[in-house]
Amino acid sequence: MNGNSMKRAGFAAGLAAGLMTLGNAAMAQDCTTKIGAVLPTSVDWGRPIAETAQYVVDQVNEVGGVAGCQIEMVLRDSQVDPKVGVDAAKALVDLDGVKVLLGAVSSGVSMPILTSVTVPAGVMQMSCCSSSSAFTTLSEEGKTDGLWFRTFATSGVQAATGAMVAKEQGITSIAIMYKNDDWGQDIGRIIAEDFAALGITVTGSVALNDGAPSYRAEVTEALRGQPEALYLALYPKEGIAAVREWISLGGTQKMIVANALKSDEFRDSVGLQFLGDTLGTDTASPRVASADAFVTQYTDRFGGAPNGPGLANSYDATMIALLAMEAAGADATGDEIAAAIPRVTDPNGTPITADGAGFAAAVDVLKAGGTVQYQGATGNVRFDANGDVSAPAVIWGFTEDGIEEKRYVSLEEVDAFIASMN
Amino acid sequence: MIQSLLDGILVGSILSLGAIGLTMAMHMLRFANFAHAELLSIGAYAALVFDGLFSALFPPLAAAIAPLSLTWALSLAIIISMAVTAGSAILVDRFVFARVRAIGGELSMVFASFGVALVLRNLISLIFGLKTQLYSQDIVFAVVISADPLLLVKPDQVFALVAALVIMLILHLVLSRTTLGYSLRAVAENPTLAQVSGIRLSRMIALIWIIGGGLAAVAGVFYGLTNQISPVIGRDLVLPIFAATIVGGIGSIYGAVLGGFLVGIASNLALVILPSGYSPAVPFLIILAVLLIRPNGLFGEARE
Repeated sequence: MNGNSMKRAGFAAGLAAGLMTLGNAAMAQDCTTKIGAVLPTSVDWGRPIAETAQYVVDQVNEVGGVAGCQIEMVLRDSQVDPKVGVDAAKALVDLDGVKVLLGAVSSGVSMPILTSVTVPAGVMQMSCCSSSSAFTTLSEEGKTDGLWFRTFATSGVQAATGAMVAKEQGITSIAIMYKNDDWGQDIGRIIAEDFAALGITVTGSVALNDGAPSYRAEVTEALRGQPEALYLALYPKEGIAAVREWISLGGTQKMIVANALKSDEFRDSVGLQFLGDTLGTDTASPRVASADAFVTQYTDRFGGAPNGPGLANSYDATMIALLAMEAAGADATGDEIAAAIPRVTDPNGTPITADGAGFAAAVDVLKAGGTVQYQGATGNVRFDANGDVSAPAVIWGFTEDGIEEKRYVSLEEVDAFIASMN
Repeated sequence: MIQSLLDGILVGSILSLGAIGLTMAMHMLRFANFAHAELLSIGAYAALVFDGLFSALFPPLAAAIAPLSLTWALSLAIIISMAVTAGSAILVDRFVFARVRAIGGELSMVFASFGVALVLRNLISLIFGLKTQLYSQDIVFAVVISADPLLLVKPDQVFALVAALVIMLILHLVLSRTTLGYSLRAVAENPTLAQVSGIRLSRMIALIWIIGGGLAAVAGVFYGLTNQISPVIGRDLVLPIFAATIVGGIGSIYGAVLGGFLVGIASNLALVILPSGYSPAVPFLIILAVLLIRPNGLFGEARE
């Protein structure tokens, strides 16, 4: 530890101690604010997501809680079931009177909670892990009342990166083949819009069904416009069949593929000799200090690295929700808390770290009427008008030994590119 | 349009081969065998194993027969695979279907066949894994038949079509010109009367499985050759093959051939009119249309 960070740690500790007394004073008035969480704790990957959320609450309580009150997170199991999730959310909103609801994980559970519980009740909902673009659409239609946020990037990032690759390669016409499921339809639709925005002609957009005996007809359909390149949002099984068919029919070998085809099975079955011009995209963890710091503190606390899905996202979702509650002040409504989100994710605000000390620092800045920039486990989180976040991306290719990263596209680059298309 | 028609015929030949075996079993053994398509998987995997074996033992055999991706080793493997598949079909009949047939009704047979299909499919997954496999890693490029309108054909597919037609012709000759064929048809018409005339029913049943299994093996290998091999071949093909059988009329071998081509062509042409997401529904629309107009299928006869 060098002198500088020592000094900072000392400062934070002093600050924390000072706030502790404040918190204790508040505790004396027996003041507790409840927040709700609907997470799939009954499945093995859901439990750590909930534990991460509780960890944030503990950290914040240690430095005095939110607006002088201790936070109590009331956790209910969603069982990855929309009906159970809605009942749990209803109970939290009606009985516990929460103004902030964390969750759910699956888009299919978050959506009915949003439309039938949180929006009607004016409660802010923050999800760590729902990726469906249906939420973006809902928000664009004005049906979320600005109460919906998520710290998980949508398929839009992946699509934008694909479009970025196509643009950089100077491609002017492209065909799209997508898997006929929620994910494939989502990404297929978004990237078609992206290509159109970039002036790249989409010669055809073909859905591939699971388990069709042959994709010959679909491939023929995609070939019809004689595109310069091919975009694929497929899983390896139908990807292999379709791409082999595509190449044998003389289709272009210039392909751009989504992350689902990042597989050795795909590379081996199609053959590396045909995949030299193929570039893939994927979202990535941010390569910033705050993300590394999260990994360190998580490992210290739980005795293992945060390798499960959505852990960094859960940390940020909870921390931002609590920061917004702090910014909105005591007894704020869900609307007021949601409206305070920009104050804690302001790119020009005072940077704060993702830990208890960071929260304590934010409290001071916010009390003085300033804004803060939360530098979280998933990087510098910033929500767009629809409550969506962006994420860094990687561009990769196939090589002799497997899959190799070609380029890391930082969050700023992704954001700038998405902005340039609108 | 012409390309779709051509593709449909090429895909259809594989469905036809599968449908012939199914229609024979359905007609003569009087039950809808949902496990029939699993015989295609068995055939495809048996050929994969023996193809590997022959290529390893006699490396010269691993050379492809230009312009196909088919190798000499695989050609030999097809013959062994036909025997293996026919043998599996007879074994399944002996251990499952024969016992159910003795004590249960038609519906019990249908359910038994569902069970057999699941067991076979999972056994294959267990042995070979869920991943996709190929006979040859090479991709053989399609041949341009005409540039305008653009017509492309893969040599493998043409080979599969020609081979399928030859096999169908041989089957036709056997059924219409030999005593064996007459016996088979007699059993189909009236099993009791056939037995009275001195035809051994058990031998005829075995024969049906040999023909059905052999054809299924060929269809499975051709499917693997023109597409890929995976444990779910049976699941993916069972409905199109049933569609072909029902459209052609249960019991009619010529109907099954025509049905296979019809279903293949219709699924390919459907994409010209419908968005690609809806194409799996097309074979069933054809079934509905045919059954409304000809309740026994195109070539089927009413059975009391």
